[in-house]
Order: sequence, then structure tokens, then C-alpha cells
Amino acid sequence: MRRISISPNQLPAPGQSQGLTIDTTSILLCNVDGEYFAIEDVCTHDGSPLDGGRLDGACIECPRHGARFDLRTGAALTLPAFLPVETFRVTKDGDVVTLEFP
Amino acid sequence: MATELKATNSPDELLSDYRHGFHDPENYVFKSGKGLTREIVERISSMKEEPEWMHEFRIRAFETFEAKPMPTWGDTELLSQIDFADIHYFVKSTDGPERSWDDVPDDIKRTFDRLGIPEAERKFLSGVSAQYESEVVYHSVVEELDRDGVIFCDMDTAVKKYPELVQKYLATIIPVADNKFSALNSAVWSGGSFVYVPKGVTVAMPLQAYFRINAENMGQFERTLIIADEGAKVHYIEGCTAPKFSTSSLHSAVVELIAFEGASIRYTTIQNWYRNIYNLVTKRAYAYKNATVEWVDGNIGSKLTMKYPAIYLMGEGARGEILSMAFAGEGQHQDAGAKIIHAAPNTTSVVTNKSVTAHGGKTTYRGLVEIHPNATHAKTRVKCDALIMDPESSSDTKPTMQIHEATATVEHEASVSKIGDDQLFYAMSRGLSEADATAMIVNGFFDFFIKELPMEYAVELNRLVKMEMEGSVG
Repeated sequence: MRRISISPNQLPAPGQSQGLTIDTTSILLCNVDGEYFAIEDVCTHDGSPLDGGRLDGACIECPRHGARFDLRTGAALTLPAFLPVETFRVTKDGDVVTLEFP
Repeated sequence: MATELKATNSPDELLSDYRHGFHDPENYVFKSGKGLTREIVERISSMKEEPEWMHEFRIRAFETFEAKPMPTWGDTELLSQIDFADIHYFVKSTDGPERSWDDVPDDIKRTFDRLGIPEAERKFLSGVSAQYESEVVYHSVVEELDRDGVIFCDMDTAVKKYPELVQKYLATIIPVADNKFSALNSAVWSGGSFVYVPKGVTVAMPLQAYFRINAENMGQFERTLIIADEGAKVHYIEGCTAPKFSTSSLHSAVVELIAFEGASIRYTTIQNWYRNIYNLVTKRAYAYKNATVEWVDGNIGSKLTMKYPAIYLMGEGARGEILSMAFAGEGQHQDAGAKIIHAAPNTTSVVTNKSVTAHGGKTTYRGLVEIHPNATHAKTRVKCDALIMDPESSSDTKPTMQIHEATATVEHEASVSKIGDDQLFYAMSRGLSEADATAMIVNGFFDFFIKELPMEYAVELNRLVKMEMEGSVG
């Protein structure tokens, strides 16, 4: 397990998301009302990125076919996706945001 | 007695008459201007006096529709001819009859004659009457359904009367952003059916969309949601063999089915839209453990149909079946198919697709079978057959199979053929005319489909196939 600090200029504003690459993994860091969630940046329906998808509360909607994922659990909430997306734990200590990467 | 079918006008002439005859603004309570704007979407929602959540749903869908590109696959040439700015997206009819029987094109009347459609039904189908005369039958059906706790109403009513159920399930099977046309439907939908069958209830008789007394159920953007709770069984039928009018050139429906554990849903469609219509429909079903979903899908009319009913087999032992038939005549392209996703062990599926092309028509079978890892011992069988009647007609088969599970059993078979001279000779040697022999062989080709239909539909479809085949030989 690695703990990776996210640079403040990479932190997305509330309601926004930010793509990050750690090693070869694309990760999407999302800000839901000041709380950060990180998921693998891939829609399990078609294997393409979720980056650019609309955030709706703690859900993200795939920009291509509208599949929705729960940012907290990674669960697929609507077809055409049904497999969960991987999630990564994010902690916030003061202004320091840290992502746990296995 | 059936009258002889002889076209005295070209389809374009008939259509032109029909357009002029049916576009009388005085007959409508409200008719939106052409084209789609945010204001029109808001107006639709406010006219329907919808709750705020549905208003927001429509606005978001409108924004998605605007942002989505047109499909870059399929019959892009025909698709590119759709002029979204030239379509009325909402027409609210008066409660009374708003069209005259005299306005109905002669070819349609002749077809009604030959199919043997009852008088009351003819008027309903052609939009002359919004009232189906067997009102008594309808009410007795509704009473019986009520007793069992079955909900069967139009979607507009469901949004107001059952908001919790609708909000919980609507657009969970087909999200708004699934494709450009599901987004369009979500923005401007009107009518369609809502069905909820409680646990363990079997609905004995098929629910038929046109039993509902609803001036808007002829709408071109229907939204249908059918939920069969655990162990429930229901058969829903939409459409009919008779040609169906629309004052718009675009029909774009969304149909979502949810079959909970052990439930069974059969959805039968017979589509015979007038031949100026683009029929771009999204249909998808979700089957839980040991549930069964069957799509029985017939496509005869329209200019271009793009429709691929899908079943997601999500629970162990779930079963899906898609039976479809297509007929494409002059100027028609039936681009239809099936999608089956096996996502759980011991799931089974069957896809049977048969198409006939004549007079320069075109059919495409576009199918997908996906077997996911862990869908152990899944079984699927796909069969598609095409019958091509003349050298001007064509048929494409585009099956895709993605198998990620080694224990799966997959069968696929496809054929393309024409009616053999020896078959015709044999039938004619028994005294049939060439036309009758051809119709008989084509009806036999479609037999797998016709035998799955309720009797009255089967009889009408047999007659329709015979009519469509006229002039195909000789």
C-alpha cells in the first residue's frame, strides 16, 4: 500500500473531477461537496474513461452511455454497466489530501 | 369479402393527401411548434402538470440530446435525412375524435379490409376515434387487475399516481444518455404504459396497449416501464398488424423491463408504421435470478427501423429469448437485431431472427451475445435466416459474439436463401397459383414467429405477409 499526497493544484473544485495517473493506472478524483472520492477512470461497460462525466451527488454518470456509478462503493447503479468500478480510499488531513494506492 | 388491392395513387401522393388532411390546427388543444427547444420541453412538462423531478428529468435529457452526436453506424445515409427541426414534438389532442375517416388514405382502408380489422378498431388505429368501443371489456379487465394489485396505466398517470415506483425504476435500465434517441425520448416522452405486477401474481390475459383509453397512446415518443415483482408473470402486447399512422416522421420509444427473481415477462411488438417513418427504438430488459424475459418482435412497416431488444441476464438461472421477424419492401430498411448479455452462471438464451426482403428492400441483422467471465455453463443459441426474393433486394447479417467464459456453450447458425424453383414447382403442381405458393412458403418461413402470437394477431399477420408478397414473383 502506498500513500500518495495529491498536490493542491490537482484538487478538483466541488462538483468537479480531476484525472490522475499513478503508475499506469488512470484515476478520477472527484470532489463531492468538499469530500474527495477516487475511482479508477474506466467505465466497466465499454472500457473507456469516465472523465468528463457529470457528477450528481455522490454518483458519476458515464459521458458516453449514461451508466451511473456510486463514487463511495464503485457499484454500477444503472445499465449498461453492471460491474463495479474500483475505488481508492482518500483521506483529508487539514489541507493535505492523500490517496491510498495498493 | 376482401377487395382487390390496386394502388391508384403512389404512396407519396397518398401521404401528401394525408398530411394535408390531418394537419388541422383547430383539432388540437396544443401543438408545439416545429423543432425542439428548451422552452418546448418546459411547456410539455408544464402542460402535463408534472412534478418538479420529472421537469428536471426532461430538461437534463434535452441537454443530453443536444450534446449527443448522431450514430455513426447503421444506415447513416437514411439517418442523416432526419430533420430534427422539422418535427412537431408534442401534439395534445382533444378528447373527442379529431380526424375524419375520409382523411384516411385509401391504401390504408384497403389494408384494413383485407386484414379483417373490426370497424371500431380501424377507426381507433387510424386516429379517427380515440375511444375503443369495447370500453366495457376494458373496464372489466381493469377491475380484475385492480383486485390483484396490478397497476396498468399510461405513463403520464403513473408519474402522478405512483411517483415512488416511477422514480425508483425509470431510466435505470436505459439511462437518458444511453443514445441520442433515448435522450430525445426522455425529453419529450408522452404516453406509453406503466405496468407493475406484484409478487406471485400471474396476469392471465395479455395486456394490450390499445385497450387503454387514452388519446395520447398513439404518440410517437412513448415511454414504457414494466416491472414484474418476484414470481409474477405478465404478457404485454403493443402495436398491431394494421398500418399505423403518425403525423410525425419520427417514432422513438423507450421500453424498459424489469423481471425480479422467478418472474416472467413477455413483450410482443408488431410494428407496421406507415412507410415514411423513422422508427428508432431502444428496448432493454433486466432479468434477475431464475427470471425469464422474452421479446417477440415483428417489424413490417416504417422507412428505417433501428431496434435491438436487449436482455441482461443478471441472476443465476435467468433465461432470455428474442424472436424477431422483419419484412422489408420497396424503400425500406429493417435494421433490427438482438442483444443478450450473460452475466451470471447457468443463464440461457435463444435468439431467432428471420427476415424477408422483396422489391428492393433491405434487412440487417445486428446482434450481440456477450458471455462474461463467471457466467459459468451459460448457453446460447443464435439463428438468423434471410430470404431474399429478388436481385434488387439485400440482406446483411452482423452477429457479434464475445465469449469470456470457457464453460459456455455457444451455437450460431445463419442462412441466406431464395425460394427454390423446385419448391414453387411442387406447390404449383398441387394447384396453387405462383403468388399463393410464394405466400405460403413465406408464411411457413415466419411460422416460428406467428405461432407465438395470440390468434387474432396470427391471422392478421398471415394475411399481411400474403399482401406484402404480392407482385414478388413472375
